[in-house]
Amino acid sequence: MAFKTLKTTREAISLTALGERIAKRREVTGTVSVPRNDGTRRTPSKQALLDEIAKAGGNW
Amino acid sequence: MTQWRPQFEAALEKLAEISSAMDALDLNPPVLVGGAAVELYTQGAVNTGDFDLVSTQQSALEAIMMKHGFVRPSGPGKATRGWIHPDLKLGFEVVGSRLLDGLADTSLLQMIEIQAHGTVAVIAVEDLIADRMGQYASGSASDMLGQAKALFTLSEGLDLHYMERRIREETAQVYGVQDLEDDA
Repeated sequence: MAFKTLKTTREAISLTALGERIAKRREVTGTVSVPRNDGTRRTPSKQALLDEIAKAGGNW
Repeated sequence: MTQWRPQFEAALEKLAEISSAMDALDLNPPVLVGGAAVELYTQGAVNTGDFDLVSTQQSALEAIMMKHGFVRPSGPGKATRGWIHPDLKLGFEVVGSRLLDGLADTSLLQMIEIQAHGTVAVIAVEDLIADRMGQYASGSASDMLGQAKALFTLSEGLDLHYMERRIREETAQVYGVQDLEDDA
């Protein structure tokens, strides 16, 4: 188990394997458009955090 | 080779280290939810602004985050529950203590191994889709249907029976799996 405190039924997967799995799906499905959150539902706390990340020079 | 942006992978690495530290103290690790989980499961098709976490042990989690370099912005106009890591320039925020109000089956959480940094616990993609559909059904988040459909399209091995139930629960029975298949 990945964690002694958390029991799950699904097999763990590495980030690399996940990336390969999604890449294979993309080969089958073609380009998949994913709309980004439009940002209109952010809480004041969330907006303040994002502002601080930007001030720190974060490029998210 | 992975294809997530470097700052996103750096955040995953930091979260894995913090999760390992929690587990070592016999505390449940946090669960990654929200837009960062969408970014993870779509391999960066959408970029999030920070990491939203669900934790039953917020105080202990935030204490460990501080040991890993996170600070809480303070001062006038900085009223946030979130934390930033000044060096990595990333943000984490604990958004709740129960995964989707306790409706999600935590045994279905997906564990993602982040090389030598450890493992992160991520909301099951079925629950993430149901969450997006719930927001879409609320009428205030039309963009969420597109995210749900993209997650559905890019995922494999989904528990469709579970996902049908969860979408119904999150949408007051209005939507189901069929709505993801329409023009997906």
